[in-house]
Amino acid sequence: MADKKRMSVEEMLAAARKADGGSQTPDSTDAAPADPPPVDSTPAAESAPAKPVPAKSASGGRPSVAEMLAMARAEKSGGAVPAEKKPSPGKSSSGKDAAKPAAKKTVAATSAEPRDTASILAAARKASKAGPMSKAEAAAKSKADPAAKAKKIVVPPLPEKPAYARLQPSVPKAKAKGAADEERRTFLGIGFWSLGAVSALWAFATLKFMFPNVRREPPSKFKVGFPDSFPAGQVQTKFKAQFGVWISNAEYNGQRQLYALKSVCTHLGCTPSWLEAEQKFKCPCHGSGFYKDGINFEGPAPRPLERCAIRIADDGQIEIDKSRTFQEEMGQWEDAACYIPV
Amino acid sequence: MTHGLTDAQFYEMVASFLGPFYVALAVMNGLAALYIWRTGQTRGWFSVPLPLVGKKIQITNAQIWLLVATVFAILGALAWSAGSAVAALSLPSLWRETINKSTGPVIYSVGTTLGLIVLYFFRSFFVRPAVAWWIWNLMWLFLGLSMTDRDFYEIVAKPDNVPIVMLVFLLAFFTWLGTSQAVENDRRAERGEPPREKVNDEKVLVWPDLVYTELICMIALTAFLIFWAIALQAPLEEPASSVKTPNPSKAPWYFLGLQEMLVYYDPWMAGVVLPSLIVAGLMAIPYIDFNKKGNGYYTIKDRKFSYAVFQFGFLEMWVTLIVLGTLLRGPNWNFFGPYEYWDAHKVEALNNVNLSEAIWNKLFNMSLPGTPALENWPVLLRPFGQFLGLLFGRELPGTLLVLGYFIALPPVMALTVFRKFYSRMGFIRFMVMANLLLFMAALPIKMVLRWVFNLKYLIAIPEYFFNF
Repeated sequence: MADKKRMSVEEMLAAARKADGGSQTPDSTDAAPADPPPVDSTPAAESAPAKPVPAKSASGGRPSVAEMLAMARAEKSGGAVPAEKKPSPGKSSSGKDAAKPAAKKTVAATSAEPRDTASILAAARKASKAGPMSKAEAAAKSKADPAAKAKKIVVPPLPEKPAYARLQPSVPKAKAKGAADEERRTFLGIGFWSLGAVSALWAFATLKFMFPNVRREPPSKFKVGFPDSFPAGQVQTKFKAQFGVWISNAEYNGQRQLYALKSVCTHLGCTPSWLEAEQKFKCPCHGSGFYKDGINFEGPAPRPLERCAIRIADDGQIEIDKSRTFQEEMGQWEDAACYIPV
Repeated sequence: MTHGLTDAQFYEMVASFLGPFYVALAVMNGLAALYIWRTGQTRGWFSVPLPLVGKKIQITNAQIWLLVATVFAILGALAWSAGSAVAALSLPSLWRETINKSTGPVIYSVGTTLGLIVLYFFRSFFVRPAVAWWIWNLMWLFLGLSMTDRDFYEIVAKPDNVPIVMLVFLLAFFTWLGTSQAVENDRRAERGEPPREKVNDEKVLVWPDLVYTELICMIALTAFLIFWAIALQAPLEEPASSVKTPNPSKAPWYFLGLQEMLVYYDPWMAGVVLPSLIVAGLMAIPYIDFNKKGNGYYTIKDRKFSYAVFQFGFLEMWVTLIVLGTLLRGPNWNFFGPYEYWDAHKVEALNNVNLSEAIWNKLFNMSLPGTPALENWPVLLRPFGQFLGLLFGRELPGTLLVLGYFIALPPVMALTVFRKFYSRMGFIRFMVMANLLLFMAALPIKMVLRWVFNLKYLIAIPEYFFNF
């Protein structure tokens, strides 16, 4: 669809070049001095239909240089001069030219200085657009004039350096350089020392941040009641919300124990939930599952849940210490501190 | 969301959404018909003989889309009337049952992969505008008919999940857009013509063309976001608590693929190593790629390998995993069908075993080799010795498999399938590419092993937090 609407740059260039070539052939014959006046009228007749409305020229875009030149020439010879172009002084001279023989006229047309408004306009309106050019345009341009590229720039030899500019080792200059070095070193020294001091201060502040004055955490040691409040085979979930532990009374390795499992999944640390109907802990994040004794059996959890230290306190209540944990895969569940035999 | 609503109340709620939804679809198809008619793209699709008159009537595509628009308009009217009519506007329960049953992990993943392959090989068929438009309509119709299902509605209408529904439709559209241009360019290349993008590479000025376009996009998107923020409530939940995790606990929608990956791998693997490799691998693409074709225009034929790898990695391993995480994962991270009630007590026995357990216990009928004690080693070196002892002792089968996968496979690939690649890329570039590819393939391989053999880890050394 888009190609119907407008032509590509390449097509435009091709059309322009075609138009150029078409109207240039009479021009080149024009340049030959042997040719009589009739040649002058040929381009005029050719481009006559394009003259009134330049926007609708044969190439679809604006008229090419050759077309414009031809138009201008047609105006001269035909005498159909637009009103606004009349008063220009160059016009009258070219009007005189028109009466002269063709050989002289072509010299005027091809000379470097444009004489009349039309040719000034033609010179100003170049075939290539102003502004940035696309790759295709650039390629076409470079192809069009290889001669310009091939032109060699001749660089004249540099004049000899005057005496004062020549590099010469002089004693006072070296001294100044040493002084500058000294200054720079002092500056750098101060800079690095202050940088080090600020960094040390920062490090100290960060370290202090790790030990806040006040901590709002549940105590790591807490009592959960008497052992007889944990019937056999039950997983007590009521301490999970406050302390993050389950307290179970179940069998592990054929021995009935009372133990506390930390409610943190060993996969990524979500909080699993105890499913009474399925008798398992199940993590809602990635589906890890653990048996009642905390051994992992499904999902991605790589190791069993961790146990906390548990003991009967002096008052006969169960005391749990969350700061000490026991890992099954390290063989730590054999430790008597992590269970109460029932 | 729909808890405590009677059926009638639920249908009324859905009707207030479905009415405008179907009307919008009717307008969409009507506009399509109008566009086809006005731009003179009407084609006769088939002719209907009229026996009474003895003539044949040509049915054109514009007429068909107009008919589709009418059907949607009628559906909209039915939906708006609420009540029992809405209930009738749903998929047959038999279909829903079938879909529920066929969305298990294996069928879902194999099905999406096969779908991708079919889409790839028959792409020239699927990118035809009429075909694409049919699929587009059917996708919307499927969504509309599914919305009357309570369980589906619960998932899809959740404000969290609205972007995912948008993602599915937007992705379908943009994939079609890119693929159709690529197919057209490939056809042009066959005829020896330059790609479409090269024909019309008119320069465009940054100011004002680009800047204005960006400005308009910016304003439109801001307006859309404001509308979204007003229309959909923020999905706020109860205050966070370190001891209470919502069930199911889902990652933000764009990370659902990562969350799915975490189901199959150890946290440091799926949470650190593989995501870093994704980022590093994407950054490495320009240095790995040696194919100079396809620069600045859409194409598939010129870049088959890159295209297939990218589409598999993005569509299959990122997007379908997001959809899987949204629609198919329920409480306790179990699999549920899209129309299945999320029962938190659904029992799914998944007794996963490590490879070492399977080999030593089941195959050789012996207990697992223990950790070497290394009594006479220096204390500092003992953990390293124990780790290596486990790696090449108890976990030897898995270690051999993994080492073989990452060390032996790349040379084999270089000698067989990727012979041309190897000769063009050189040793280092090829090894980087092969290892990135193998890491990418490791995820689906592990998924299949989990689903089919209940395999937990190939190498399982929880003592030293090393599992693969």
